[in-house]
Amino acid sequence: MAFMKFPFLKKKNDREEIKKALSKSKDYTTVTYLNKKTNVTFCLTFMSTLVDEKIINDNALPPLLEGDFYRLEDTKNILPLSDVQVTEETDKLEQKLFNGYVLLTMQGIENKFCFFSAQKEVSRNVSVPEVEFNVIGPKEAFVESIDQNLNLIRKRLPIKELIIEEQKVGKLSKTTVAILYIDGITNTENVNTVRQRISDIEFDAITDSSYIVQMISDNQHSPFPQLLDTERPDRVAAILAEGKVAIIVDGSPHALITPTTLVEFFSSFEDYFLNWILSSFLRLVRIFAVTFSVLVTPVYVATLSYHYELIPQDLLGLLVTSRRQIPFPPILEALFLELTIELLREAGARLPTKVGQTIGIVGGIVLGTASVEAGLTSNVLLIFVALAALASFTTPIYKMSNTIRLIRFPFLIFAELWGLLGILLAFCFFLTHLLRLTSLGRPFLEPIYPPRIHDLKDALIRLPFSQQTNRPFFLQSKAPKRFDDGTAKEKKDIDE
Amino acid sequence: MERIRNFLLLIPLFFLLVGCVEKETVDDINLINGIGFDYAEEGRIIGTILFPVFMKDQPPENKILTAEAAIKKSVLQDIQKQSADPIVTGKMRVVLFGEELSTKQGILELVDAFQRDPGVGSGIYLATVDGTAEEILKGKYGIKGNAAHIANLLDQNVKREDLPKTNLQRFLADFYQKGKTPYIPQIKKISDENVELSGVGLFKSGKIIDTITQDKMFFFKLLVDKFSEGMHRVGIEKGDAAIRSIRSSHNFELTGRNPFEVTVKIRVEGVINEFTGNELTPKITKQLAKQFEEDIARECMYFVKRFQEKEIDPVGFGHFVKTQERNFNIDKWWAAEYPKLVVKIKPDVTITEAGVIQ
Repeated sequence: MAFMKFPFLKKKNDREEIKKALSKSKDYTTVTYLNKKTNVTFCLTFMSTLVDEKIINDNALPPLLEGDFYRLEDTKNILPLSDVQVTEETDKLEQKLFNGYVLLTMQGIENKFCFFSAQKEVSRNVSVPEVEFNVIGPKEAFVESIDQNLNLIRKRLPIKELIIEEQKVGKLSKTTVAILYIDGITNTENVNTVRQRISDIEFDAITDSSYIVQMISDNQHSPFPQLLDTERPDRVAAILAEGKVAIIVDGSPHALITPTTLVEFFSSFEDYFLNWILSSFLRLVRIFAVTFSVLVTPVYVATLSYHYELIPQDLLGLLVTSRRQIPFPPILEALFLELTIELLREAGARLPTKVGQTIGIVGGIVLGTASVEAGLTSNVLLIFVALAALASFTTPIYKMSNTIRLIRFPFLIFAELWGLLGILLAFCFFLTHLLRLTSLGRPFLEPIYPPRIHDLKDALIRLPFSQQTNRPFFLQSKAPKRFDDGTAKEKKDIDE
Repeated sequence: MERIRNFLLLIPLFFLLVGCVEKETVDDINLINGIGFDYAEEGRIIGTILFPVFMKDQPPENKILTAEAAIKKSVLQDIQKQSADPIVTGKMRVVLFGEELSTKQGILELVDAFQRDPGVGSGIYLATVDGTAEEILKGKYGIKGNAAHIANLLDQNVKREDLPKTNLQRFLADFYQKGKTPYIPQIKKISDENVELSGVGLFKSGKIIDTITQDKMFFFKLLVDKFSEGMHRVGIEKGDAAIRSIRSSHNFELTGRNPFEVTVKIRVEGVINEFTGNELTPKITKQLAKQFEEDIARECMYFVKRFQEKEIDPVGFGHFVKTQERNFNIDKWWAAEYPKLVVKIKPDVTITEAGVIQ
């Protein structure tokens, strides 16, 4: 294994050896000082890139140089810092240095040393969510710093039952992964599974929560994401209250939510900010949009290639005239347009935001119109493909919307091969796959299958909060009731 | 991993099956909208097909191909020889039979081909033509194409006017039903741009042996169809009235067994659309209703007598009796019992509205 070559990664490391390895890096700094009052010579060792020198200069050095500094243990008293440790364990040495601690050693004392923390806080400010943007509701999004993120969640759930467990993952990256759950609500089994799966991760560098998603998913070969990722702290707080488990990864502005179900991927968090009628309507629109987006081009190809009988008489003329000059069979025409849309999207995603938008719109309109005028594609199909692309963007979770875009292609190919029968076949494939899929061992298609009527209250539609008395059934929560509906009586008028 | 490998091995097998499916891309086929059959000499028939050639921003052009063949089913194959694109029957709306063909030779063998073609829906219209089918198809009616025009014409007359429900399904059901004989509408070309519904042709073993004319169709519909709309003109001394039936129902009852006696109760709810007299008093309204009842009874009785004479039964008295009688024998029915059948018509007309201005 590659990392064994680095001497400082050995389990039994020697101070000298660590020094030797570290001194190769330019940010390894060792400075020797003399306290004139006590005549003690001491040495500060730190990684200059990780350490805030202001803390050293302003807070640490003045007492160390001028205070009553005789023994190492004195540091605890004279340093005006909260995190000061004196230890004999050389094992911790390297880890502490890389966590932004400053190592303080005294001349003549070889087996004891002191640490104090002086981390440099490099983090951007909390900003507006960009992937899950909402018009209504809070506009805070996670950032890359785990402390900041945990702060955003703690603020929303100021209770002692909110447990934040921490694990280090990745042999090289030593990424901090926090598991969040509410004690007494979340099923312990779920927490245990998450904890175990995360500790089982064998990988050298975890740089984002997406790594974790791919490593702890139940089926890693599935195109469907089985952990919901969100950049909204309010959403995380809400699902914690439902009894789910959240995973927050240091360096990633996306938290993970598990266990989850397919329908949850089509619910935007804004659904909870709107009146239940509106949000139910919007959810149904989204479900329709997904179905439409996946099926419209395949159905077009299937009907035009095999099932002309299905086309209404009045539409027939329109379809036939728009297709007559086109030299390709429907499938090539459809693939051509679908790929154009994919290209536009991919180009738009890779380019800087402003340029990307322009390219997307201009490219879409110009290319679409031009390809119709050149007789490469029929204008009817152009409308369908554009609508399908538009519909696919309504999926609130980005990872799911990518999946939706992908699964259209197998449908298209099956439609070309066997017409509507092929579409049905492809549908059966995906349905079987989804039925077998689990998220943390919980059925992914719940509450549709297995049917859980009570969980339908917050699935395809969202019933009013007064109806949301129970936590989702599939979570097997320790406290299944959210509130006692007996106490939540209807409000009476003041004069009654 | 093994599962994935097995799945990947399956994929080539899918492609082997693909050859089994026949592809019919919509712009590379000729979609027949209508087909007509006519009688030629010595038992040969002439088949005419009509398919639309779609034009941008224009009504479709009616294209016609004709072929003559001895064996009826080979007509389509012969026409195929004149066509650049394969001819498919899936969008067919009407099948027309020339007068000579339907009276001399019968249409059964031709209809049989349609009943076996999975592409042909059971909702297509069969119609007989006063004249030749070819002539009718050669016209230029409407903006949706000839066949669509004829089909829509029949459609709206079934829904809103006095043509009884008819299509391939009904024709076959009536044909195979013991104690019932089928009927199909009859159309007539009146000019190059106009075609009209001229009556209903009544069949006996595949041949038309009688027709009901346009003006009597209302009563025919009352007899054979459960719900009918339609207009009828009623005349009394004080003036004529156009009464539109908005709701009607009929009810059969077996009231006697030797000889069989069937009572048909016909209830009509109607509104007066037009009255030529001076004033429409409630008394006159009652008179009109009475007169209407008399008309219904008279015309229906006349029909029944006529059916009995010609040994046809489009109303399905035989079928009705069969449902009521345990020892029903269809041969005996046609030979002895049907001619002796007594039918009583009991009409009941209610006029619900006579206009708003008093």
